[in-house]
Amino acid sequence: MSNSASTNASPVPSPQTPSPRFQTPRRLFSSLEGVFHEEVFFLILSVFIGIFSGLAVVCFRLAIDWMHLALLGPLPQAHSWRLFAVPSLAGLVVAVLVLHVFPGIRGSGVNQTKAALYIFNGFIPFRTAVGKFLCAGIAIGSGQSLGPEDPSLQIGASIASALGRQLEISREKLRLMAPVGAAAGLAAAFNAPISAVLFVIEEVIGRWSAGILGSVVLSAVSSVVIVRWFLGSEPLFRIPVTTFKRPTELLAYAVLGIVGGLASVAFAKSIGYLRPRLKALPRWTQYFQPAFAGLLVGLIAFLGAPQVMGAGYDSMDQAMHGQFAWKVLAILAVLKIIATTFSFVSGTPGGMFAPTLFIGAMLGGAVGDLERIFFPHLTGSTGTYVLVGMGVLFAGFLRVPMTSVFMVLEVSGNYEIIVPVIVANTFSYLVSRGLQTVPIFDLLTRQDGLILPSLEEDREEVILRVEDAMLPAPATILNAQDYVDANARRIQDSADSTFLVRMHPTGWNVINRDQLQRLFQEGKGELTLGSVLRAQSLPSLYPDLPLDSALRYVNDYPLVPVVNRANSRQLEGVISRDSVFKKYGSGRAIEVPSST
Amino acid sequence: MSWSFPKLVPRSAPVILLLLTLAAVIGFAAVGHLVARFTANQQARGRKLYAQGLADANAGRYDDSIDAFHAALTCDPTNSQYQLSLARALRDSNDPRRLDEAESYLITLWQRAPQDAAVNLALARVAAHRGSIEDATRYYHNAMYGVWNSDPDANRSKARIELIQFLLKKNATAQAESELMALATALPSAPAAHLQAAQLFAQAQDYAGALAQYQDVLRVEPSNSSALAGAGQAAYSAGNYATAQRYLQAAVNTNHEDAHSRQILESADLILRTNPFHSHISDAERNRRITTAFAQAEDRLTACAQQTGVDLNASTATTTTKTSAVKITSATSPVITSSSSPLSSLQSRWTAAKPDLARLRSPGETDLPDALMDVVFQIEQQTDNTCGPPQGLDLALLLISQKREAASQ
Repeated sequence: MSNSASTNASPVPSPQTPSPRFQTPRRLFSSLEGVFHEEVFFLILSVFIGIFSGLAVVCFRLAIDWMHLALLGPLPQAHSWRLFAVPSLAGLVVAVLVLHVFPGIRGSGVNQTKAALYIFNGFIPFRTAVGKFLCAGIAIGSGQSLGPEDPSLQIGASIASALGRQLEISREKLRLMAPVGAAAGLAAAFNAPISAVLFVIEEVIGRWSAGILGSVVLSAVSSVVIVRWFLGSEPLFRIPVTTFKRPTELLAYAVLGIVGGLASVAFAKSIGYLRPRLKALPRWTQYFQPAFAGLLVGLIAFLGAPQVMGAGYDSMDQAMHGQFAWKVLAILAVLKIIATTFSFVSGTPGGMFAPTLFIGAMLGGAVGDLERIFFPHLTGSTGTYVLVGMGVLFAGFLRVPMTSVFMVLEVSGNYEIIVPVIVANTFSYLVSRGLQTVPIFDLLTRQDGLILPSLEEDREEVILRVEDAMLPAPATILNAQDYVDANARRIQDSADSTFLVRMHPTGWNVINRDQLQRLFQEGKGELTLGSVLRAQSLPSLYPDLPLDSALRYVNDYPLVPVVNRANSRQLEGVISRDSVFKKYGSGRAIEVPSST
Repeated sequence: MSWSFPKLVPRSAPVILLLLTLAAVIGFAAVGHLVARFTANQQARGRKLYAQGLADANAGRYDDSIDAFHAALTCDPTNSQYQLSLARALRDSNDPRRLDEAESYLITLWQRAPQDAAVNLALARVAAHRGSIEDATRYYHNAMYGVWNSDPDANRSKARIELIQFLLKKNATAQAESELMALATALPSAPAAHLQAAQLFAQAQDYAGALAQYQDVLRVEPSNSSALAGAGQAAYSAGNYATAQRYLQAAVNTNHEDAHSRQILESADLILRTNPFHSHISDAERNRRITTAFAQAEDRLTACAQQTGVDLNASTATTTTKTSAVKITSATSPVITSSSSPLSSLQSRWTAAKPDLARLRSPGETDLPDALMDVVFQIEQQTDNTCGPPQGLDLALLLISQKREAASQ
């Protein structure tokens, strides 16, 4: 499909063609092809990507459940030998598979999808999907402290990429296939299409456009429909009654945000510190790293905290309904940070979304309960703090502020807590950004030796605008309706060499001193300046435009007028090549090419 | 090693979409088959765990049953029966922290089927555990008017009875009585139901209602000893001593070992024998009863004074002179204003009224019996407060006084 379908399509039937009722199948096919130009085809393809990703994620979840039941039983209890034996042995199996069969599945699925988008022209090997499915299924099913969302995301992306390559769609569209599949995978895993769409837009693609958004939404929705069809529409948690009565309680949620931000930083720094060190160890140790992580998780579970195993959705559900005292919640949050850090840095395939939610939920419950001990008048239930806490870690650790808010709303189905969620998430995000400059996904990318665009940095970047490099409007502006000799007299007292000409009725032009004097000498002094200038109009800029947009003109024109958006004849200033390069030179310290 | 697939897909868009649709249908069927098998296995496993949980719950091992129900739910997360049983086990485990979890499961079920009577009843019991009258009443009512899978009338009646018992326990007597009214109108004809309703009426201190229910039982089973005893006690509590005597006598005759009924019967007999206001007695008998009561009141007053260490003679001597000219008609007014104890005051009043006993036979002294008995009643009430509940004739006089008081109000 590198050539769009429309190029192969036959034109509209001529009057001689039989009526559609009597069309042969071949002609019917030909006329249908006209409908499927590449944009439409891509949208339809997005639905299929959603369907296939949804089917894959359903199978993936069944695989994890089946592994869990087969290896650990339906409800693991502390002090059972299986708790440390199973994840350790499973870790060995996973290590062999990762090192010998699926070497590309180490690392974050989000980053691999971004890499596919920005570096590999949308290419993600299908083997990655198979490897993620098998290895993450074994790892999470055996109790490693990781979640199924990131592998689901990558399975979706990988399926989409494989489909795109098979169909030979254009390179531009192929690049977008991976994010579209990623949205489908993530939506299916979370049963939350809006959050998935936002995450992919916010963290992977980094820009909004109707074409991309349409495809991402279609794939996410269709995958969620598939998952709900097969696995039911039950939410991940039984949502408790949530309350937010007094605005003064926002202070309590702000404290939760700060604590969550600090926990996010601790979590991110642990991973950032340990991951390169473990990767730097001799290769033979990599056979044992997942097993060691499994042993550690198993020992934590064996000693009394089986809640840290796996994704931990059941425990989050229990925390929401006040099943744990605040000390237990705090301990579980700390243990989960340790368990997830080791599981992830050991190279075991699996994601950090569910552990992030777990840590946030436990931390939220602990902070909420503790606050209520000191301030008994607080009306927020433990469940409310648990829900808000989930968003707090999402905002602080994954650094996706918009997704974090919508994720909580979508998971809880409760609009009432939006204000506490926004407040807490904002504090968490600000604390995390203040203490940990590089977001976790960018950190992992850099550790893997890739330089992918940091979307947070893009968001936060100070953009230079035309007004930053704009020079004041020149004192002498020539008028196209005046005679040449009158204009020549006007420039005699001016020191400038180039002058703007206000054209009639609109537009601008430019003329230099020599050109004007030559016109005068050629005896055209009795003609209007407008009549002797070339008809082409000078492009104009607006003060709020990015300075980059001025680069297109400054080489061709010595002066570019900057005009008011409400009145194009009102001159705000001018832009010249020197002023632009000077601004770039001072603002960004880049090499300014010498003027020619 | 790289994996690649041969590119077999044609370049025609409609063909591609047809093939994709075909692949989706095949994938749908395959995954559907897989999910169905997995779900069937899970459900079988869940059923085993559920049965184990039920056995544990029936044996009172709630912690084990909660674990088993949790495990069953991991196998079949949407099973309403498992959720309901888990919620019940959580509620019955007597751990206040688990009530929240129980409630959340039940709320989830309620949101799915708000008309489900069993869920509403379970929620009502959670609210009752919390002591919330408002929530409990709401959910009990939902249960009463909800959909029952079997035997709806009996279940509704049970739910209402449970609500009444809860309201009585919380001293919400007015609400309990209104529920009792509703219960009485919808009771089946079975004597057991009326017997239970009668007991609830009695607990709510609606003795007339209780008596009516006992009488309904006795119409069907005239020799039902429980109903006879209950009817007698209800009548006795309502101050209807003649009726009480009749039922209690029958109860004692039917069940010779019913000591409680016998004791109340004796009390009722005594009241009927000593009540001077009984309508079917002669003047002579009335005067005799008043004289006996008057003498009994003094004995009770003296005994109580001794018990509490009050010297009645000292105070009487000082007050007699003051009150010697006071007519007995003023016996109910607070003539005695000495600083002595209430018992001393009563002794003074009793002493002041004693000479009037002789005037009982005189015609025209129509207020005198009431005035004399007022002294007796005040003594009995005061000694009841000061020295504790009386027995025998004193108890009879006290009950007569209470009945008179209630009648006058």
